[in-house]
Order: sequence, then C-alpha cells, then structure tokens
Amino acid sequence: MLLIHCPYCDEKRPEIEFAYGGEAHIARPHDPSTLNDEEWEGHLFIRSNPRGRHHERWRHIHGCGRFFNAVRDTVTDKFETTYKAGEPRR
Amino acid sequence: MADSLHRASPLPGGTVTLEGATLSAAPEMGRYSLRARDPAALAALIGRELPDAIGACSGGIARLGPDEFYALLPAQDALPSGEGGPVSIVDVSARAVGIVVEGAGAARAIMAGCPLDLDRMQPGRATRTVFEGVEILLVRETETRFQIDVWRSFASWLWRSLAGVNAA
Ligand SMILES: [Zn+2]
Repeated sequence: MLLIHCPYCDEKRPEIEFAYGGEAHIARPHDPSTLNDEEWEGHLFIRSNPRGRHHERWRHIHGCGRFFNAVRDTVTDKFETTYKAGEPRR
Repeated sequence: MADSLHRASPLPGGTVTLEGATLSAAPEMGRYSLRARDPAALAALIGRELPDAIGACSGGIARLGPDEFYALLPAQDALPSGEGGPVSIVDVSARAVGIVVEGAGAARAIMAGCPLDLDRMQPGRATRTVFEGVEILLVRETETRFQIDVWRSFASWLWRSLAGVNAA
C-alpha cells in the first residue's frame, strides 16, 4: 500500500485516507471580471502536466481533514516531500 | 412531548464473540464536534484541558486536526454552547454510535478492514480513519480495548462486517 506523509498528523498514513486535489499553487485571479475567455480557460483548465516532479494538492480527508501540498514524481509515483498549505513551493 | 421520543440504536443488542475479542455496543454518549483556531480559547470556554498533539486523546476529548477536536463524554455531560466566542461547539450526539471491540485479538479484528498499522497505535490515541469504505473514528482506550465511533447509517453494516470477517 502507498503511504503518504501528512504534514499535519506528522505520520505516514495509508493512501486510502487521502483525496487528490489537483495541481498546487494555482492562484485564483484577483479580479475575475477583468479576465477574457482565454485567460479564464487558462486558469480553470490548463495545467502543467509535467513528466516528473509534480506539485499537487492532497487532502487528508479521512484523517485530520487538512489540505496540504506534495511533490510527487509522475513517472515513479514516489512522493518526494509533503508540506503544509500556505508554505512556499519546494 | 420529548418524553415520547426514543432513540433506537441501529446496532443489535448483546455481544458477539470473535477470535480473541468481543464486539458490543457502547453505551449512549454525548458527542461534540469542537472547532477553534485558538485551542486555548476553546479549553477556557468548556473548562477542560485539550490534548496538544493531533491524534492524542485525553479526558474523552480527541484532537483530530489542527483546529478540530471531538468529545466523547458520558451521556449526562453537557458542554456549553460557546455562543459569542471564537469557537464552534456542536452537539452531534445523535450522529454516531459506538462499537466496543475488546480482547487480545481486538487490534487484529479491526485491522481486517482498517489500513492503519495498529501495532504502532499507542493506547490513548484516537484518529479518524476508514474501515473498508466507511469512515470511522478509532479510539484506542487501552492495549486491548478500542471504541469505534461510526455514523448511524453505516453502523449496522460495520457491525455485521466486523462480525463477519472475524467470525470465531
Ligand atoms: Zn493528517
């Protein structure tokens, strides 16, 4: 079973307790009404989709309930690190 | 009016004997969902000490997350509403029921459906987790005694599942 380190619980916990939350560090537009359609499309749908290090959000939904960020290698599926929401990108 | 209202347990009465453990319904309890950014304000409002670490449980109160606590108290114990304070204190007594798994084989019985490594869960620890596809709150009261708190609508399934996969 894949174990994921929750930075809030500070424990490795089984993957089944977590929910994936998509790419991390996507900032919402400050003033959405000024965006044109293309910019909206970029914000809502266009993701980096890298081969390798991917910054992504996870939620320990069946645990402490917190969202946090992780760096996972999309080739090996290995987690490089996890860190609390709000902390700078690693 | 309230005298005519009864809460029926979704669990069958009695005790089920498993391999090295027994399954029984916990007595009725008071349950509170507690939230506060500042745990000290919450502790002062309810007049009880709160556990420091996530996953710790003391005095019937478990720390589930950075700002979330869960109180499992004797049925007659009530907590104040916290009205006006920077906290949320919600009586959720009717939301869940408790199942007690007790005996030398209790941890093994729960691990039949729970992915946590209970060999590494110390007595006095509590956490939200899952049993098969159902969310539970698991409290390790002692080395050989666990209480599982589960939402009512999942309770009869969980009971039968625990009894079924662990049939003696
Ligand atoms: Zn957690």
